[in-house]
Amino acid sequence: MSTSHDTLGCGHTLEELSLYLDTGDFPDPGHLDSCPECRNGLDSLRRLSTAGSELFSSDLADAGSGSDDWMKNILANLKLELRPGRTIPLRSEDPLDRLTETEGSVLALVRSVTDSTPGAVAGKVRLEGDVTVPGEAITVNLDLAVVFGHPLLGSATALRRDLGEALARHTELNIAAIDITITDVIDAPREES
Amino acid sequence: MRDQLDLVPDAILAGRAADGDTAAFEALARRYGPHMRACARRLTGSHADADDVVQEALVQAWKQLDSLREPAAVKGWLLRLTGSRSIDCLRRRRNHATLSADDDGGQAVEPPAGEPGPESSAMATSGTEALKLALARLPEEQRRCWVLKEFNGQTYEQIAQTLNISPASVRGRLARARVALVRDMEGWR
Repeated sequence: MSTSHDTLGCGHTLEELSLYLDTGDFPDPGHLDSCPECRNGLDSLRRLSTAGSELFSSDLADAGSGSDDWMKNILANLKLELRPGRTIPLRSEDPLDRLTETEGSVLALVRSVTDSTPGAVAGKVRLEGDVTVPGEAITVNLDLAVVFGHPLLGSATALRRDLGEALARHTELNIAAIDITITDVIDAPREES
Repeated sequence: MRDQLDLVPDAILAGRAADGDTAAFEALARRYGPHMRACARRLTGSHADADDVVQEALVQAWKQLDSLREPAAVKGWLLRLTGSRSIDCLRRRRNHATLSADDDGGQAVEPPAGEPGPESSAMATSGTEALKLALARLPEEQRRCWVLKEFNGQTYEQIAQTLNISPASVRGRLARARVALVRDMEGWR
């Protein structure tokens, strides 16, 4: 064993080998094929890396499942505060009333209608336009994940109609357009219906 | 649907969670909670502290989700938050131990990873056991670098940020950690 703990007999350092393992960068790549010291060093580092992966797998198994009680307890303690977003004014018979709904509740409505469409799961939803001004034209932008195998075009058309109806029923927003972007295909055939 | 959300890609969940969907956020927590917990346990060496760390990281994640530029990168981000909160936890513990050496200090001096001392190394049979023992003997700052790299897959730059040191120091510590681990486990050459 060399006395200096990071320089090999060939002049290269263990730090260089360690870096090479992570990045593939080495000052003199050809040297690695011919130098037995460096090769031994790399072999040892690779064995360590394998042992590291095994330790991680073992620790991960010991950590349990995300559906177990420990996670339920943590989730129960989180007390996630709501994200109301912008305040959307509502009409009222009495001018003294000031009725509003939150942007967050409209986003939740869009998600809920979308999720109840077979094969579709809502992602991010954006209301574009000034929702705080009554009658402003608003565009709904919806990211959508579709379960593999579902007819995409048909469900997008039906979904746009359902969303339009729900928004007309539950809000007073002037919806100019509903833009749906399929961002993901879920590759998990699963019973649903 | 709760189980439907468990099938959905990270980016979808992160986008919904940023919009305020607690169910999507909980699905993310269920998905990556075990990884976060494993990382926090290995860094703090305490099961109780690790669960506190996971909880703190999730609270922070919920508050800061809309600052996450790339929703698909939510896993790495959650793990970085876990790493940072674990390091905070270790710092608090050290301050606490310094301020009141004998008060409630039971876990303050517990060796991280909660492993037995070197005398039991003869018992170590598997590579995993040998590595656990070797890790427990590693200087604290080297172990942190190693766990952040090998468990969390953090880049040198990200580790540098978490530990508030330079990327060059990360490179050096990581190399020293690996050399010490290899020497301890099998003898270098």
